[in-house]
Amino acid sequence: MNRTITMNLSGIIFHIEEDAYEMLNKYLATIKSYFNDAESRDEIMSDIEGRIAELLQEKVSTIKQAILLQDVNAVIALMGKPEEFAGDNQQTDFKQAEQENTHQQPTNKAKRVFRDTDNKILGGVCSGVANYFDFDPIWLRALFAISFFAFGSGLLLYIILWIIIPEAKTTAEKLEMRGEKVDINSISKVVKDELNDLKNRANKFGDEMGSKETKDRLKYYGDKLFEFVRDTLYNLIRIVAKIVAVFFVFIAIILLVVLLAGIFGNGSVFSENFGGNSINFSLFDVSTFILPKNLPNELVSLALLLFIGVPLLSIIYSCIKHLFGIKEKNKIVKYMASTLWLFGLALTVYMTIEISNEFSQQAYSKESIKINQPINETLYLDAKTIPNADFTFLFNQRNRKIDFYNKFLFSKTDSTFSLGYPTMEIVESETDSFQLVVIKSARGFDKKQAIKNAKNITYSTTQKDSTLILNSYYDINTEDQLRFQKVKIILKVPLNKVIYLSKRMEKIIYDVDNVSNTWDNDMVDRRWVMTSHGLQCIDCSGLDDTENNIPLAPTPPTPPPTPSRNSKVKNI
Amino acid sequence: MNIENTKAQMKKGVLEFCILSVLSDGDHYPSEIIEKMKVAKLIVVEGTLYPLLMRLKNDGLLSYRWEESTSGPPRKYYKLTPVGEQFLKELEITWNELVDSVNKTIIKK
Repeated sequence: MNRTITMNLSGIIFHIEEDAYEMLNKYLATIKSYFNDAESRDEIMSDIEGRIAELLQEKVSTIKQAILLQDVNAVIALMGKPEEFAGDNQQTDFKQAEQENTHQQPTNKAKRVFRDTDNKILGGVCSGVANYFDFDPIWLRALFAISFFAFGSGLLLYIILWIIIPEAKTTAEKLEMRGEKVDINSISKVVKDELNDLKNRANKFGDEMGSKETKDRLKYYGDKLFEFVRDTLYNLIRIVAKIVAVFFVFIAIILLVVLLAGIFGNGSVFSENFGGNSINFSLFDVSTFILPKNLPNELVSLALLLFIGVPLLSIIYSCIKHLFGIKEKNKIVKYMASTLWLFGLALTVYMTIEISNEFSQQAYSKESIKINQPINETLYLDAKTIPNADFTFLFNQRNRKIDFYNKFLFSKTDSTFSLGYPTMEIVESETDSFQLVVIKSARGFDKKQAIKNAKNITYSTTQKDSTLILNSYYDINTEDQLRFQKVKIILKVPLNKVIYLSKRMEKIIYDVDNVSNTWDNDMVDRRWVMTSHGLQCIDCSGLDDTENNIPLAPTPPTPPPTPSRNSKVKNI
Repeated sequence: MNIENTKAQMKKGVLEFCILSVLSDGDHYPSEIIEKMKVAKLIVVEGTLYPLLMRLKNDGLLSYRWEESTSGPPRKYYKLTPVGEQFLKELEITWNELVDSVNKTIIKK
């Protein structure tokens, strides 16, 4: 009794005894090694396999179903030994051909990557790849073991490789796996060989061009030239494609690690600047307050993972397949990837709609704040920053703050968010007293919710004698969610009254109109008087870049002699 | 000097010519070509044919098409291209000249 193997040869299924199979396999592998040119090799091999399949088919019948060793031997005798028929490419001297073949055989035999299941720990991926590049697998294993902890990205890569790389099952495959070293030397040798081949063909082509001149022939050589150019281009494209594939794998792996790090690291943002300050912030903390209550963070993570992660994995998968020249298609993987991605897409679309609904309506809430009128006609304005809010280091769980280039402020304590900055406008008052109006705005999924969100904003000011201290932040209760809450402050200054803007006001004032068109950041630390044309600077004469400013009469209360906005450039 | 080698090489030189000749009367797939060549004792082992067909095809002398077969894998039917026909004509002339001169040389002896 003998064990048989099921074998597919040229699309026909055979039951073949094990020893016969080994024999046939060895025979085909030997033939293969006799051909140098990869492209015609594949075609010749498929022709020969087709013929062998035809011959073997004659050997089986309903009574004798299995192929035996003697059948294979008979077929081999009929087909001939490889050295009898192959390897005579252009050579006339048979012996020389044979000699060259034995020389070329080891160098041209392509090494293939297989999983080495004889030396496996998990799936034999590391030992297989190490075999391919000829180094000790322990290094690769160590690398993978470490990267398992990098948010599992190593594990994912390992599984991809496990799926793509076939297992070395037969002796022939095991030999192929251990074949010649694939290193820089052999690669440059292959390139050199290919260049030589091209050169030979070009030379041959030139010789042939020179010797014959009939019109008929010209067309024939035209075709040849076309083929030559086409082949050269094809080779070039193949090389470029490999380089692009390496590049893509590299980029995709980086993006994947970032994605996984973002999701499994709870969205931690960690950065350290040179001053020794650092921010450690979890995006999940924030997103909880942005997402609608029926959308948990986990769902968003899942959607992102599928929607972005699956395409990245597919890129890595197909590029690696291309690089190692693996042709086998894995339908299950394909279907699974498409299904998962579509699921992620649907989830993402659903969430986008849900989230944008939450922001669909906007509402305002207006509020006047009573201020005591200053005694000496000048109101000093100052801003108050968040307590303990010089650029804070935020390792603890309680206090977090982001201060983005003075444009945006975000800070969270257990009970409140502090957001910044409110924007402040300064206009002329209709009455003869200073007035402060605060307009709060927010969004929500309906008008009612939006109004509620706007009203829940807390903004406070304090006054000490003639100094009005404005908070440079506004607070939101952590029970509310973040819905574009904004605060706009309008200070109404009566005619001929003076305000002083402290240095700290720079963050709050926003495009304040003034007679001299001075930028906001030049307006601070100065006094301004309200004229019938708008704010005018009192102590700006020392400014270097104030070509725009108009010299003033020293007495602040008296209105200046009609400085118009149009004439400002010519003065000074 | 190996007599078998010399014999093999003499045959090899005319093999391409014979394949082209076989195909000049219509399209054939490799097994048919092999049958005809075997009858003429030109081919000893079948494997010889495939690299030759490949080379002729790569040189633009032959083309092929696939055809389903009732038993076994689909077959490649080979066919002479116009270039191949031209090539064959010239080879025929050369062959006839060669046979003439070789015969003359042998008979003179």
